[in-house]
Amino acid sequence: MSGIHHFVPVLHRGDAVGRHTMRLRDATRARGYHSEIFVDTVDPDTAADTVPVLSYAGEAQAGDVAVYQFATASAMAPWLAGRAETLVVNYHNVTPPELMAPWDNHLALGQLRAQGDLRLLAPRTALAVADSAYNEAHLAAAGFAATAVISPSAALDATVAGHAGRPAHAPPHRGTHWLAVGRVSPNKALESTIAALAVARAHGDGEAWLEVIGKPATDSYVTALHRYVAELGLADVVQFAGHAEDATVEAAYATADVLVVTSEHEGFCVPVVEAMAAGVPVVAFDAGAVPEVLGGAGVLVSGKDAYALAAAITALLRDAPRRDRAVAAGRERLSALRLETAADRFVDLLVPLAGVAATSP
Amino acid sequence: MSAGQPPTGAADFAGDDSKAGSPAPADQARAADALREAFTRLSPQGSDAWNFLAAFTHLGDRYGPYHPGASALSDSVAPGRTDARRPGPLDRLRPRRDRGGATAGEKTDLEEAMGHVVEAFRFLSARVETLEARLAVQDRPVDGVAWLVPARPLGSIAGPVAGHVLARSPGGVIVHADCGEGDLLRVLHERGAEAHGVEPRGAVALHAIESGCSVTIAEASEHLASSPEGSSGGMVLSGVVDRLPLHALLPLLTRSRRALRRGAPLVVLTEPVATVDARAATAQDLVDGRPLHQATWELLLQRAGFVEVAPLPEGTGDDRRIALSAVVPS
Repeated sequence: MSGIHHFVPVLHRGDAVGRHTMRLRDATRARGYHSEIFVDTVDPDTAADTVPVLSYAGEAQAGDVAVYQFATASAMAPWLAGRAETLVVNYHNVTPPELMAPWDNHLALGQLRAQGDLRLLAPRTALAVADSAYNEAHLAAAGFAATAVISPSAALDATVAGHAGRPAHAPPHRGTHWLAVGRVSPNKALESTIAALAVARAHGDGEAWLEVIGKPATDSYVTALHRYVAELGLADVVQFAGHAEDATVEAAYATADVLVVTSEHEGFCVPVVEAMAAGVPVVAFDAGAVPEVLGGAGVLVSGKDAYALAAAITALLRDAPRRDRAVAAGRERLSALRLETAADRFVDLLVPLAGVAATSP
Repeated sequence: MSAGQPPTGAADFAGDDSKAGSPAPADQARAADALREAFTRLSPQGSDAWNFLAAFTHLGDRYGPYHPGASALSDSVAPGRTDARRPGPLDRLRPRRDRGGATAGEKTDLEEAMGHVVEAFRFLSARVETLEARLAVQDRPVDGVAWLVPARPLGSIAGPVAGHVLARSPGGVIVHADCGEGDLLRVLHERGAEAHGVEPRGAVALHAIESGCSVTIAEASEHLASSPEGSSGGMVLSGVVDRLPLHALLPLLTRSRRALRRGAPLVVLTEPVATVDARAATAQDLVDGRPLHQATWELLLQRAGFVEVAPLPEGTGDDRRIALSAVVPS
């Protein structure tokens, strides 16, 4: 019996792509299709949910659909491009190498390879699904003919109860709590958030502090951020939490006054929807997919000016009715994204491509 | 603010409404630019370690895609296993089997040799990275130390120092490090000179920039290392000379001489030995050794290639700091 299978280089339970892949697998199975997750590298934590990819050759059936979760360079790309199954690419964005190159040539070359992989897959792909219109434009530029946009199904898998579920523990500082969530990577331009914090503390909000949650992408960037923080005299008021469990992220959203996003490049930006769910207003630079995901909720700042960003944050937080309107608009926007049905809508796109009708679930 | 916490911009502005107001848009724009530049200079672009890493990664791509041996799938799409993949962009980078005479799955002589080259790059990369890390630690102060050993404002010395430098400058921008909130820069500007400050404490530098001064947020030694040769018409070093370890002072002076024009003056303002016990506890911990005697400073300036080393002729009035003047040979 043919099936709809999912391919990902490695399946991590804790990351957005991993959660999304498992949710798609479950939604596919719920429609009665045979569906497995094939991986190149087995993560012991998810081994029970995955099958080594090289075993697929012995299991492949005529009419199979292969759904490839594309976020990094991987040997899976040329391998899938060389196979005969109907191929669907789910594109989660590749950071432009030029943003990484000043910090880590090794990672930049990986991104360059990923761009090559994308172009390699384009002529072989029946359908490419992006999680934002911003990403869809990348797919078109890479040569994909048939594309669609569906928000990532697992964007809200992490629990972010927000102010309604404020945890018992108190934050380490009394002042305004700025929050930045996401991989600590050069494309996130966290230095802009830090610079804005310095300006805000100098001009009107002397108690503001920043919590940064996210896994470091490269040591050189993290080292520079720490030095920048020290040079700006902010060592006591900028906290780098590193990779955090869901409970820690939840606690951070519960006490945060604002989510600050200064990314130069974002394919979707899951923290934006997390903040919307948590009732935390968002202030962001007008870049990447962030304006699209915000959909008018929150505050966008043009340019990369630390003073403009600091002023926008301070003004929003000093105006309680405006802040409340931003939170309410965020909740409306979150509802409009229909994340809870995203996996089913994704499978709706796959069904017409499957060679054999599903059996009863 | 706790006793051990460094001062912040907010503290600097506290109690002074004229400072707490918004800076002029032009000054804001310059300050925002200074903040961006301060971070950009921290990127390791140009690091030999990273370049080595990139070079052998590229070689790895060329002679074996992805990370050979990293997974069974990586090996299955390696050159020679063309059954597993279709031709792609990387193929043009790979050696042609039919040229080398090797059969599918076997390495050519070239691939074999390049494998050793890749390994050599890997070892070199690791070694260079270690050396760069050691040098980085030795060449610059501990991050944040400037907040704990802050420069004293020049106060009443600013006038005599500005007069001395301007009277002897062959022309060109006058540089002051650590410039603090820019008191000397403003005096120089008022007297018609082009002045530029270097200040590692970002929030203090912002204050100077917002008040109209031109300032780079940086350590003086790093800023001078990237300054064009002969670009400065005069220089004043204060603060930075009281917190750098002894072994870093001579390189600082050498870089200063390189950045100065021929005949340009240098003034060094440093705390006298007698003040060592009056320093904050953190400063006593962080400064490498005792303050230097005047004769030691004179020796260092001469070793760095300066001439006419002498106490500042204009004197320092009631201020007890050591003030030495020197000149780059014409």
